[in-house]
Amino acid sequence: MRYVKLPEENFEEFFNSLKKWGNVYAPTKQGNIYSFKKVEELSEVSLDYNRTMLPPKKFFVRPKDEMLKLKGKKWEECNGVEKIVLFGIHSCDIHGLQILDKVYLEEPADPYYKKRRENSIIIGISCMPDEYCFCKSLGTDFAMSGFDLFLHELPDGYLVRVGSVKGHEIAWENENLFEDVSEEDLKNFRAFEEERAKAFKKALNKEGLADMLDLAFNSPVWKKYEKICLGCGSCNMVCPTCRCYEVCDLWTNAYESVRIRRYDSCFMESHGLVAGGHNFRPTRLDRFRHRYYCKSYFDPSAGFNCVGCGRCDEFCPAKIEHVKVLDEVREALE
Amino acid sequence: MSTFQTHDARILEVKELTSREKLFTLRFVDPEINRNFKYKPGQFVIVDIRGFGEFPISLCSTPTREGYFQLCIRRVGRMTKYVHELKEGDIVGIRGPYGNGFPMETMEGSNLVLVAGGLGMAPLRSVLWYALDSGKYQHIYLFYGTKSYEDILFRDEITHLLKHGEAMNCTVKLAYEVESPSCIYLEKGFAPKVCKGVVTDLFRGEEFDVTNTYALICGPPVMYKFVIRELLDRKLSPGRIYMTLERRMRCGVGKCGHCIVGTSTSIKYVCKDGPVFTYWDALSTRGLI
Repeated sequence: MRYVKLPEENFEEFFNSLKKWGNVYAPTKQGNIYSFKKVEELSEVSLDYNRTMLPPKKFFVRPKDEMLKLKGKKWEECNGVEKIVLFGIHSCDIHGLQILDKVYLEEPADPYYKKRRENSIIIGISCMPDEYCFCKSLGTDFAMSGFDLFLHELPDGYLVRVGSVKGHEIAWENENLFEDVSEEDLKNFRAFEEERAKAFKKALNKEGLADMLDLAFNSPVWKKYEKICLGCGSCNMVCPTCRCYEVCDLWTNAYESVRIRRYDSCFMESHGLVAGGHNFRPTRLDRFRHRYYCKSYFDPSAGFNCVGCGRCDEFCPAKIEHVKVLDEVREALE
Repeated sequence: MSTFQTHDARILEVKELTSREKLFTLRFVDPEINRNFKYKPGQFVIVDIRGFGEFPISLCSTPTREGYFQLCIRRVGRMTKYVHELKEGDIVGIRGPYGNGFPMETMEGSNLVLVAGGLGMAPLRSVLWYALDSGKYQHIYLFYGTKSYEDILFRDEITHLLKHGEAMNCTVKLAYEVESPSCIYLEKGFAPKVCKGVVTDLFRGEEFDVTNTYALICGPPVMYKFVIRELLDRKLSPGRIYMTLERRMRCGVGKCGHCIVGTSTSIKYVCKDGPVFTYWDALSTRGLI
């Protein structure tokens, strides 16, 4: 890793320089909700945000995505990939993207996802946890890779970790804006990280989590939550690692059709339905439990399918808390 | 070319198998794609009806017979209804083959017990033909459970094997649930190979060396439990019982997430880790069957 310092007074100039690499998307405040939007000026950006409603997956796996266009009985690719700079992504969301990478870039790679990933620059930013965050328990509170540049807040600017060749190129082109890192900066960086570590209010007990859950297949806790859960699928939409999609063809006019895919949710009854009407997950209990199993699956090379961003808790209309559910399941088993 | 682009395939023949199922014989329009189309019994393709959508369907022909491939399609919904209206010469899109298929090479030299229920006959027909064509298997048993005489898929082939199977080291047995004059005629002609009952009834009187036998099952979800119990009672190892499963597969390549099964200790995609699984997989992956 290469480390440089971006002093506060150069920050705006650095931000403006990013536009030459692509359209800049950054967290902006919309009412009470933060959201990644295309920005022109630094003044539009809210870097002091907790979490956006939709995670950055929306740039790569779109809520509604055109795949192929039908022209004269032949499918044509829907072309055009925008070059983007995602500015101000939190560490948990970077981990989320890496989990998506694992699925979507594995052969055969998803061509749309791959092209968009190749045309994006990821610039991370450090954050302070709020009452929903539990990324520390999952080890996703610090990104070791998956970004081009990562900005760590210092009292007088940012300590910048350069994570890729592209990141190096950006730093190199703006050489005059950066300084060397001093001992003082490192001290401040460590102090920030320590303060941050102490600020977590929520923790997930992940010890033997996968086996514990497997044994708790018939736990009464699932039955309790079946009644509380509204089955709306909002947790799936806002989750940085949920990526189920449904495909359908739409006619745009009498001669042209387009094949689109859109987010699907395992809370929908149709998710496990097959031809002939048999449903492999017919009840809400089956579907509720399935999501927890999917999120708590541990992949030795990618970790858990959950990054502890807290979105599912914050945006759940029934106020179901992910960590609390898992704790209760564990308690009922012991 | 994108992973999700399909290739044009022409329908060479449409054959009505029952009132609900039709057999489509297809060939890729591009001869090169046709030459490179290699598949294994148990694999599936995604059929693309342009402007309507896509659906997965298992291949029911065998790779030992080259130059064409066959799909047995039951009319159950909007898309399959459309497919049933297609005629010879019409074009559909095909991508694939996908999935792992049956490990035909591993099973060489062994007995094969194929247990089919209803539409489950389609993927197992691929295994049956493959085994008969290659001649590399000891004895092939086909236990086929069907609702009624009218529902028997590939009736001419089944009848042919009832008559001449033994000469090819192949024992075919048929169980039907609904009685009809045609069934009684069959039963009279081929007793005790044809009987009224369920597919597990067909195991009666059959002995096979469990150390040298593989069982391959495909049928409606309810069937697996009973067939597997029958096989386990005969001390067949869970690793020698293969099943092919059905799920709502959209992408076929492990992205769209609809076919994910299992729990936190073992998550599997039916489309790419399957659709063929062993019974051991089912024991270690909850929700598989």
